[in-house]
Amino acid sequence: MHLWLSFAVLALVLWGITGVTQKLSTNCISSERSFLWFSWAMIALSGAVLFVAHPHWGLGRLVVLCSIAGGALNGLGAWTSFRALESGGKASIVISLVSLYPLLTVALAVLLLRERLNLAQTFGAITAIAAAILLSMEAQQQPEG
Amino acid sequence: MSNPVIGQRGFAKIPRWLFWSLLTIVLWGTWGLVSKVASAGMDAYVNQLLYTTGLVPLMIFVAWTVRRQHSSEPRRVRAQGIFWAFLTGILGGVGNIFFFEALVKGGKASVVAPVTALFPMITVLLALVFLKERLGRLQWSGLALAFVAIYLLSK
Repeated sequence: MHLWLSFAVLALVLWGITGVTQKLSTNCISSERSFLWFSWAMIALSGAVLFVAHPHWGLGRLVVLCSIAGGALNGLGAWTSFRALESGGKASIVISLVSLYPLLTVALAVLLLRERLNLAQTFGAITAIAAAILLSMEAQQQPEG
Repeated sequence: MSNPVIGQRGFAKIPRWLFWSLLTIVLWGTWGLVSKVASAGMDAYVNQLLYTTGLVPLMIFVAWTVRRQHSSEPRRVRAQGIFWAFLTGILGGVGNIFFFEALVKGGKASVVAPVTALFPMITVLLALVFLKERLGRLQWSGLALAFVAIYLLSK
């Protein structure tokens, strides 16, 4: 197994767990307050990283801008997805639709970063997006008994 | 549909929810790209630190909108909500570090993004086991496809 894939799978597992903890949180408090406490945790984690990991500095302007933009884009994306749900979009449709976002990443990476996918990876990317859409669809109500 | 529409001054008329959904795709889709660019010049820890900096303006905006909200839930329920939200932040942040590490270690953005986008498979499995939620046929198909996708993307 490639090292990068191990890290990607670890990210997948942790983000997957947050799907449950986020739901448990918003069962108790509003999504806005939940977001605020989520952000405080991110700041606390950053403080811990600063002391524990001894990160290397001396960075180019472009990478710094991209990294900060990453946080802003991801946070704004979470906010716009909430707005989509609040604007009357059905959860099953909105969440399935936004699951298409890796398609844009693939397109941008191929166009701008000149990344190339082999045939298996191309099918894999398509399958992954289809899987994410199916997983995001609400479970059908099972008949009682 | 009774939703107001975005369309004004010649813009195509689309429902608001669709506009916000498409904007989400653009924001999250671009995040994958800029993360790869950032990962070329820094380690995953610094990336997470700067990523959090990018979150701060939105955090201030949300705090400003929330400040007048009166929280009616009992203290114990609120404490539980805060606990789970905080845990979500820690897990999400560590997940980010692994995501950045995958990119630093040579994973292509065009492969890492689709792999990590499969995270609902874990949510669905946990909800099945711990929240006793039932899965529909589509979700079972999604789970099976997710394993196939990871296998193909690892090639």
